[in-house]
Amino acid sequence: MPILFYLSKRALQALLVMIVVTLFVSFAIRLTGDPAVMKLSQAANATAEDLARIREAMGLNRPFHVQYLDFIGGLFTGDLGTSFFRGPVAPLIATALPATLLLATTSLLVSLAISIPLGVYAATHRGSLADQAIRVLSLVGLSFPNFWLGIMMVLLFSVTLRWLAPSGFTGPLSLVMPAATIGIILTATNLRIVRTTMLDVLSAQYIMVARAKGLSERKVVYKHALRNSSIALVTYLGLQFGGLMGGIVVVELVFGWPGMGTLAIDAIAQRDYPILQAVISILAITIVGVNLLVDLTYAVLDPRIRLE
Amino acid sequence: MTLTRTILLAALGAGLLLGGPAQADGTLTVAQRQDPANWDPVDTFLVAWSSAGANIFDGLIRRDENLELQPGLAESWEVLEDGMRLRFALRQGVTFHNGEPFDAEAVKYTFERLLGDIGAAGPQRSNYTSIDSIEIVDDSTVDFVMNTPDPVMLTKLAGYGAMIVPPKYIEEQGQEAFDMHPVGTGPFKVVSYDQGESLVLEANADYFGGAPELDGLVYRFIREDSTRLAELQSGGVDVVHDIAFSAIPTVEASGNASIVSVPGPTVQSLQFKPTGDVATADVRVRQALIMAVDRQALIDAFLAGRGSPIASLQGKLSFGYDAALEPYPYDPEAAMALLAEAGVAPGTPMTIDYRADNSTFAEVAQALTGFFANVGVVAELRPIEDAVFLNEIVPQGRTNEMFQFAWGGWTFDFDNTAYLVYHSGEKWNPYGTSDEMDALLETQRRSADPAERERILKEVARMAHDEAYHMPLYNEDTVYAVSNRVENFVAAPDRRVRYDETRVTE
Repeated sequence: MPILFYLSKRALQALLVMIVVTLFVSFAIRLTGDPAVMKLSQAANATAEDLARIREAMGLNRPFHVQYLDFIGGLFTGDLGTSFFRGPVAPLIATALPATLLLATTSLLVSLAISIPLGVYAATHRGSLADQAIRVLSLVGLSFPNFWLGIMMVLLFSVTLRWLAPSGFTGPLSLVMPAATIGIILTATNLRIVRTTMLDVLSAQYIMVARAKGLSERKVVYKHALRNSSIALVTYLGLQFGGLMGGIVVVELVFGWPGMGTLAIDAIAQRDYPILQAVISILAITIVGVNLLVDLTYAVLDPRIRLE
Repeated sequence: MTLTRTILLAALGAGLLLGGPAQADGTLTVAQRQDPANWDPVDTFLVAWSSAGANIFDGLIRRDENLELQPGLAESWEVLEDGMRLRFALRQGVTFHNGEPFDAEAVKYTFERLLGDIGAAGPQRSNYTSIDSIEIVDDSTVDFVMNTPDPVMLTKLAGYGAMIVPPKYIEEQGQEAFDMHPVGTGPFKVVSYDQGESLVLEANADYFGGAPELDGLVYRFIREDSTRLAELQSGGVDVVHDIAFSAIPTVEASGNASIVSVPGPTVQSLQFKPTGDVATADVRVRQALIMAVDRQALIDAFLAGRGSPIASLQGKLSFGYDAALEPYPYDPEAAMALLAEAGVAPGTPMTIDYRADNSTFAEVAQALTGFFANVGVVAELRPIEDAVFLNEIVPQGRTNEMFQFAWGGWTFDFDNTAYLVYHSGEKWNPYGTSDEMDALLETQRRSADPAERERILKEVARMAHDEAYHMPLYNEDTVYAVSNRVENFVAAPDRRVRYDETRVTE
């Protein structure tokens, strides 16, 4: 069962990544500030005893390895611990993770729906006016900082036109602006990948053979060329996913989107270790999972690729 | 709430179209930056908590928008035995939102909880440790027995940790239920709380002060300054509680909302490092740096004029404020002369450490470098992340020549700021002041005589002024952006806006 062996190897890899990442994050965040001090930062008469009492209540008086093992142990039993400020962590993640994944997948789908047809068109009409226009547009898209694009959208669609609510999560319409903000930036890069790899593939010998066999141009482009060039795109999407998560943090803040980014930023500001550790672990697992999916997709796209 | 979200997500996934929630008539929506995330009064110090908490809970005493103490759940009070005993006559016939009666037992429970194990894990307890015990005289009379007179206690009973909580609800439903679904006696009761997003309240028709005019009150937590502004402009919210100073002109030009501001508790200053191998160890240098800066220009340029110059670390609402104490004048020439006298060569570098989270102060800091350059001091800016600044830089005495200090004690009593900044061993006083200062601060804390306290606090402020421990920059106004559909909005200096008499049109 090579596939089972392969999957368990990858699962072990994921575990290792998660441990390294959480160990690093848990350790580093403790060097930068004490949540007990944050909790008392506005209490005018707080004494050293007050501080010690709060640290004890937070479990911060225990050695680092005990705190860390406690967290990892909890992770395996499905217990994500309790936030220093906001109650149990699991329900917070249960709300935030779907919101972030929804935003990420919608943005990705939007960007693929635009970038694949446009990229293919640009490649097959290389040098045409349309090709030039598409390339310029993608460069413009690449040059927008995402927070700026988000704020501009709010100004146009919420403040001036009043079509969409500027923030929050009250229905499908709430998804439009944040997904478009991320989608536009993803589209710009994906468009360039699709165009470049398509150009590459279209000059390959087997495409010439396919054309010589008398296949329709449509079949040549979409069945043979696109399938082969999509390996590069899928690889790129996998690599892009980590960056996508980083970009989502900013966009979530602009649109008040209740996702993992907002959760993480608040947790960092308050030095809420339990939330931060949980968010980082789950994002690490998600990213490793997505990359596994990418590897599995290779085998589907190109049967010559073997999983080892 | 998670369930609602799950259903919503499922609906989204299936591609169903749901409309946004219609805004009910008579509902006012407030936007504020922060979600306090926990509604237990003993577990918070956040203004974000009290701005909503003021509409859910009551204390024995209420402080109005003029900072006058008014009857709350206590109808009257007496100070007995030279301040060692406070006696309260309780309001009768009041019930909590869950129907539980308010009585002397609830008062006793509230303070025993605050001073006991539950309070011990939170930041509020330390404000109330001068209370020794609570004695029930009869069903509607309680005595606070003090272990030391506390001149600020009556004020402190009007806020935060002293909010009266329902004993039965907490004991039966548990701590977590109370954290997420608080119950008080206030003009509004909690309908739902969606962490990180909103708190929905409805009018308490049985409120002892009369039923509110509004049907509902919603707090939305929106982190981004520009997004809160956009929500106001597009009609998504009616009042923005913490509008950025930089957004004031936009609101004023919008035509559908206006700015309402009142003097507030927050003061901004630059503290000097007065010891060690730095130029600011010389009092002449400190005075020169103050005179180098046109503080009124900072207020006009960066606060849109919504602030006042100050001579000490308090505004004019503060107990201990001295109108006779004048700020150092803006006088670059005198500053240069003093610097020369102190032997500071033109081109001397100095560093300003400040909290990176405040965009207004970042602009002020830029302007400060300009003013300093004018007198030959080359200032370098060092913005530092909040927690690092609060934990590692200031208390550890790792600052450079100058560092930012911002404070706004909600009690509006100068003791709250002065003790923290001038008394030895306090977190915000890493370099020490003087034994004389320590003695003054301790004396006023023990005194039950307001006149004596006021005299001492003025002396403290004058001493700090003469020694030029800091450059008081300005006292910020508390600024609200209010939609035109809101009527009878009463601005509170401490952001604890009560909405029981506010109305909305349409």
